[in-house]
Amino acid sequence: MIAQARELHGAPSFGQFIRVEAEMPVVGIVFNVFTHSIEPNRRPTAYGKTEEELRLEQPQIFELLRTEFQALVIGYLDGDEAVQILPPQPARIHSFAYLCSDEQVRAFTRSDDYLRSILNTSKIPTDELVIAVLRHTVRAHAHAPSYLVQMGKELSRLLSDDYDRLSSIIRRVVN
Amino acid sequence: MAKYAHNGVPAAAGRGKQIGVITKGSLVEGLEMKLDPEQNVEDMKAGKFVVIEGDKNDFFSMVTDMRLDANNQEVLLHPPGQEDALLRQVLAGTSTYNIVSLRPMLMMPKDAGADEGPRPVKAIPSHFSEVQEAMADDVAKIFGCEGDAEGRYFSIGNPLDMDTQVCLDMIRFAERSNGIFGKTGTGKSFLTRLALCGLIHYDKAVNLIFDMHNEYGFKAMKENGSSTTFVKGLKQLFGERVAIFSLDPQSTRARGVQPDHEVYISYDQITVEDIAPLQDELKLNPTAVESAYLVYAIYKERWLSTLLKLEGPDVEEFAREIGAHAGSLVALHRKLKRLENFPFMVSKLRDGDVVDRIMEYLDKGINVVLEFGQQTSMLCYLLVANIIARRIHEMYVKKSERFYATQRPEDQPRQLMITIEEAHKFLNPMAAKQTIFGTIAREMRKYYVSLLVVDQRPSSIDDEVLSQIGTRITALLNDEKDIQAVLTGVSGTEGLRSVLASLDSKQQALIIGHAVPMPVVIKTRDYDAQFYSAMGCMDDLPAEERREKVERDVAALFGE
Repeated sequence: MIAQARELHGAPSFGQFIRVEAEMPVVGIVFNVFTHSIEPNRRPTAYGKTEEELRLEQPQIFELLRTEFQALVIGYLDGDEAVQILPPQPARIHSFAYLCSDEQVRAFTRSDDYLRSILNTSKIPTDELVIAVLRHTVRAHAHAPSYLVQMGKELSRLLSDDYDRLSSIIRRVVN
Repeated sequence: MAKYAHNGVPAAAGRGKQIGVITKGSLVEGLEMKLDPEQNVEDMKAGKFVVIEGDKNDFFSMVTDMRLDANNQEVLLHPPGQEDALLRQVLAGTSTYNIVSLRPMLMMPKDAGADEGPRPVKAIPSHFSEVQEAMADDVAKIFGCEGDAEGRYFSIGNPLDMDTQVCLDMIRFAERSNGIFGKTGTGKSFLTRLALCGLIHYDKAVNLIFDMHNEYGFKAMKENGSSTTFVKGLKQLFGERVAIFSLDPQSTRARGVQPDHEVYISYDQITVEDIAPLQDELKLNPTAVESAYLVYAIYKERWLSTLLKLEGPDVEEFAREIGAHAGSLVALHRKLKRLENFPFMVSKLRDGDVVDRIMEYLDKGINVVLEFGQQTSMLCYLLVANIIARRIHEMYVKKSERFYATQRPEDQPRQLMITIEEAHKFLNPMAAKQTIFGTIAREMRKYYVSLLVVDQRPSSIDDEVLSQIGTRITALLNDEKDIQAVLTGVSGTEGLRSVLASLDSKQQALIIGHAVPMPVVIKTRDYDAQFYSAMGCMDDLPAEERREKVERDVAALFGE
């Protein structure tokens, strides 16, 4: 799922939950953010100036750039209920994407399925994403230590007791 | 059976807290439970009482062992540091977990009626059956409750970490010989006193107690760290129902009580059979006993007084007269001379035979404590206990035979329990064949006599005797041989071994055998004012309460 940010550099952060409006809103986790030129064939060139200097001297170049982000679909909302399976239909082109509220994040992260979705996806930096997601969800769960322990235990199971990986993730989540 | 609804579905209330699930095991080797991560492994003590809730049965089990386990060697090689609290918490119950070994002791079908008791275990629960802490009514269902109409159950303590009673079935307890074992200082005397109180209070057996260290009759010392206090003896608790016989009346009086009877033994009461078990103590050689028989053959019951009257050189002449080996008889004479030093040995009895007197008391249902006062030598104890027990034994055999012949209920002898301390002296493999106690332990059940064996060295007791012991109440034992001995003749003992070795050194005991449906570790009941009043002793009650109780009792006895 790819979305374009409304403003340049205005994408949600890595690991945040987003929701794409639809009849059954699709929920995903941001795992990639990138800014590039509108023209596929033109690459932005380094000017050796700060952003502020450039905005004064050549404001048009910022109009030629856009920020996009990629999200990993982890489920959808059926009414208020969180469903942890792929949505029946993909999100439509031109649908609006929003950040999930804390409540929606909590609904989606009560069980460990989102961790499994992340770990089972290839070609993304899974460990980093798990850490980022956990840091966001723990905040949504009001930093409850018991939640972190519960997720840690699930993670331990999902990683099939890869102790090194587990301990590195846990340590980085807490720091 | 309040715990179950009528259809056998467990009611939500009355179940204990879940502490884990069964993961593997077998009927023979016991079951293994994975402890819930929220539970602290330090709360799982050996001997703790838990209930496994199977699909069709509840299994009452005992914790026998615990193990720390990890599914990943990496964790053990690089354990999380002290600062990684979260990581430790995460690992607990996932990569690192605790396994608790359980031994199912009894099972109870969930649809069992109220009057059905628990049964021996013949099945095991399925995978992932819940394990719960036992609740008060689980314990009551198994061990019964004090205060039943029959007076059958006597509370002897509480299960570990629980407040409910564990009861001994006193009828079954009195039926067979019993043992109370434990290292010195672990509370054997207290356990014995408790058991005796139960027997006397519920009147299930009349007791004859050979009280070597003057602990049971009147006042006893309570070792309480640095301070020493005194607790009440049986005489103080049960008054008229206990009589104190004393071998050393002065010592008994010095402790503040007048003995009901002073014990004297005449030389004529001693037979060769009484001397034979003293071989060890007197350092007799085997031929000495044979010489004694020679003297006996001629002088009958006067053999000992005749022999002891002789002086030095006369003995050899005497030996020639009766055709005995002179050296052997001289040695026998020299060694038996020690008996003359005992103040209770007299040549002529003044006020009747003490054994007849004891028997009279026992017939009336009065319990007899025989105090040894300062006569604490093993020789004296062995000699006196043997003489008296042998005579009592003969009388009981006669009484029982009369009862078998007449079959009249009034001829039925009262169940008698004889308490002996330092029992291994009487019941070691050598002596058990010679002393009367060996016979009693082996076969006297049908003659209404049983033993209460109190000992700190059960491994020295003859196996044949040990295997006949019905109920064993065991305080801490460390020696592997002793543990082995205590568990002789008990099935499924693998787990109990660890339990026995890990008991506290005070106020804890393992009870196995006839009087309890399953082995159980208890914290012994306090022997305090509350216990005294439960036993019907009112000395410590405030005057007001005492009067009320007396009035109540009077009303109960004579009507309003």
